[in-house]
Amino acid sequence: MGNCFSDVAGGQSAVGGTGINHGNQANAPNEAVDAFLNSRGYQGLYNQIEALDFSLSLFEWFAEVLVVDGAVVAMEKKGAKEGAREGVGWLVVWRDRRSLELRLWCSADLVLLCFVTDFAGDGGGDCGGGLVGECSGSPVGHHWWLCFVTDFAGDCGGGLVELEFLDEASSLLVLNMSDPMTVLYSKEKDGSLKELSRTEVVLNSLNPKWITKYTMAYYFETVQNLVFRVYDIDTQFHNQDVKMLKLEEQDFLGEASCTLAQIVTKSDRSLTVDLVCGEQSSGQAHAQKFGKLTVFAEESISSKTTVELRLRCSELESKDLFSKSDPFLVVSKTTEGGIVVPICKTEVIKNDHSPIWKPVFLNIQQIGNWRLTVFLLIVRKIQKSLLDLEKLHSAGIGANFFVPTAVGPKQESKVLKSQLFVESYSEKIQYTFLDYLASGYELNFMVAIDFTASNGNPRLPDSLHYIDPSGRPNAYQRAILDVGEVLQFYDTDKRFPAWGFGARPIDGPVSHCFNLNGSSSYCEVEGIQGIMMAYMSALHNVSLAGPTLFGPVITSAAHIASQSLTNNERKYFILLIITDGVITDLQETKDALVQAADLPLSILIVGVGGADFKEMEILDADKGERLESTTGRVAVRDIVQFVPLRDVQNGDVSVVRSLLAELPSQLLEYMRFRKIQPTF
Amino acid sequence: MKPSSSLSRLLEITVISGENLQENRKQPVKNNAFVNIKTDNSSCNVQTTQMDKEGGSFPAWNEKLIVDLPMHARHLTVEVQCKNSSGIKTVGIARVPTSDFLDGFLPENYLHFLSYRLRDEKGEKNGIINFSVRVKNAPPQTAGCAAAYSRQWMAAPVAMGSKNGSCGVVTGIPVYPGSY
Repeated sequence: MGNCFSDVAGGQSAVGGTGINHGNQANAPNEAVDAFLNSRGYQGLYNQIEALDFSLSLFEWFAEVLVVDGAVVAMEKKGAKEGAREGVGWLVVWRDRRSLELRLWCSADLVLLCFVTDFAGDGGGDCGGGLVGECSGSPVGHHWWLCFVTDFAGDCGGGLVELEFLDEASSLLVLNMSDPMTVLYSKEKDGSLKELSRTEVVLNSLNPKWITKYTMAYYFETVQNLVFRVYDIDTQFHNQDVKMLKLEEQDFLGEASCTLAQIVTKSDRSLTVDLVCGEQSSGQAHAQKFGKLTVFAEESISSKTTVELRLRCSELESKDLFSKSDPFLVVSKTTEGGIVVPICKTEVIKNDHSPIWKPVFLNIQQIGNWRLTVFLLIVRKIQKSLLDLEKLHSAGIGANFFVPTAVGPKQESKVLKSQLFVESYSEKIQYTFLDYLASGYELNFMVAIDFTASNGNPRLPDSLHYIDPSGRPNAYQRAILDVGEVLQFYDTDKRFPAWGFGARPIDGPVSHCFNLNGSSSYCEVEGIQGIMMAYMSALHNVSLAGPTLFGPVITSAAHIASQSLTNNERKYFILLIITDGVITDLQETKDALVQAADLPLSILIVGVGGADFKEMEILDADKGERLESTTGRVAVRDIVQFVPLRDVQNGDVSVVRSLLAELPSQLLEYMRFRKIQPTF
Repeated sequence: MKPSSSLSRLLEITVISGENLQENRKQPVKNNAFVNIKTDNSSCNVQTTQMDKEGGSFPAWNEKLIVDLPMHARHLTVEVQCKNSSGIKTVGIARVPTSDFLDGFLPENYLHFLSYRLRDEKGEKNGIINFSVRVKNAPPQTAGCAAAYSRQWMAAPVAMGSKNGSCGVVTGIPVYPGSY
């Protein structure tokens, strides 16, 4: 039964995190109970995903022209906001009401202006070219077009401002501006775009702020690519529902893209990206820029509220208790369709007729408005809503259990003497993983690669370290990419410590922790590309040896984590160890892990190749007991996860990515254990 | 400034909980377990928690104890005992090397969470003890001694030919902070 917790720490850790936590072995799931529940069709509930809202606003620096009855026309920047480019100044000189001279000054990297006029009156534009365009003839009664481009060709995809001079004395122009709408897409793995949502159309605005929000689930372990396209909606479609609009019929104004991780790691949860023009834009050297798009994300508040319930029973009748079983409660929710979904269970209390259980934690978002059913030994039950339980608590009375009799059309229930009391009921807000990110916490990625001889000669195609000339990544590269591509967004400086172990660097003895970049003084490389390049060059510069020892790299990672704590940095470290074989120093590795367990560090071990990794599973406390060192010290947290990477080619869902899903919970466990709160 | 006693460190130890404690190897501990913390082998200078009356073999204390750890101490002894009708019985002992929380890589006042295997008198495994340690006062750093502790020594005026008529010389003994 997933995510059901009978211990305080486990229950709390389930809120705002992802994945399953089996930190406390004493309260590990009881297989007999699980089998019983599964056989009755009760499936576990997995849903610790936060939801996000988006609102979009477009920043641009278009101009509004004020025509004054006189010789000089002032042109002002409209909508200058933070993020809009500064340093652009314009002056339009209207000479003799016959010609307009446009002068502008701007800094070197800004968009230049070109002036197009239509004095011929044929509705087309004549390109003025250059910085200053001169024209002759009276501007009155003609349409003036101002467009903003990055080159002098004078053609652009959008952002046209149409001015109409009414007459010489008029002091205002009718500006016909864009009516923009944004479409949000998610970019799938194959590059195709899947539409997620459309905003409303904001009329007549070059700096629209849309109201429509989109709620989506945040998955830490995947790279969620988002694409935004802004369209100018033609007037004839203004009354239509946005969903019915055909995008091919609208004017495309620009496109922006980012990942969800880039947005949530910003402290104000808002990311501003440039809008560019050109669908197949990556080839173009100069993408035309059409303003900026700001995306703002917010975590749904309701997912953070937990309710803590202490439940107690009275007068349990001994004749109904099986002699070997001891009472426990299962709190489930019942949907309208009558489907029962278990949410959490208490611990088992032995031999007690008036048991009081430890508190259980319920996430309000999980429950919603559904009724809660409390089962006692699955034989008796009570059905209440969360509000009723609160009332029971404040009234201090109990509710009677009853036994549902399933026989016959009349579903009568036999009411029992035993009652359920709510000893305490309290709601509180738990900080989530995203809260810690917003307060400035970073995830630092570190990688250690196995260079032992068992991998095989790297020059031969059957070696695990063989670099395929076709570019297909080998097992090591696959693991680095799977983990690194997700984690890189959570690290601001993108400098990753990278080590190798089990090899002899040039003219040296075997090292069990050498810097992959070949340096003797520092261990970091720049970006995921840096890791790949250092890995490939290391393959040429070291001779594979052995044995496989993890102790030294774990200790190096622990030193970096300790140093970071001493410097009061807000960092959480993730060490990825990729290995092809079973470790030789199991006890020393355990010792190093026990020492490191109290640090802000998580270790992912990926096994590649065909070896039997049975022994490695001992390191992952999910599958075994808490690790113990030679001095009798026991690991305070389970910081290791191990997964064998059997099939490199197969599958969209990477096994390694599923390990990443547990990382937010591990970070939360570390923070909550130490009562570290995010400070904003 | 009064120099702090650098003969010992002050530790704030929070005894959190115990796991899987057995009595007589077969039966789980029923209740009334408590913890003694000793900094040396003698029985003086022992700090004790309250008894957990209900906890059974998974007792929880969550109790803070302030322990004076002498500078020379290499171990902390954590002893779990339980009280039953026949008296007090030792459930298990763990010897915690002070290097586990005074290791120098982490900040001095870091909150260390520690867990240890308990072993009974026969040396057999008997459960786990969970606690946290924080060093409350760091001993003065020798490197910064001069700077941190510089102060002016005021010479007391020697009374010479006072009205009282008595006069004498007082010998002062300089006190250097941090050295004993």
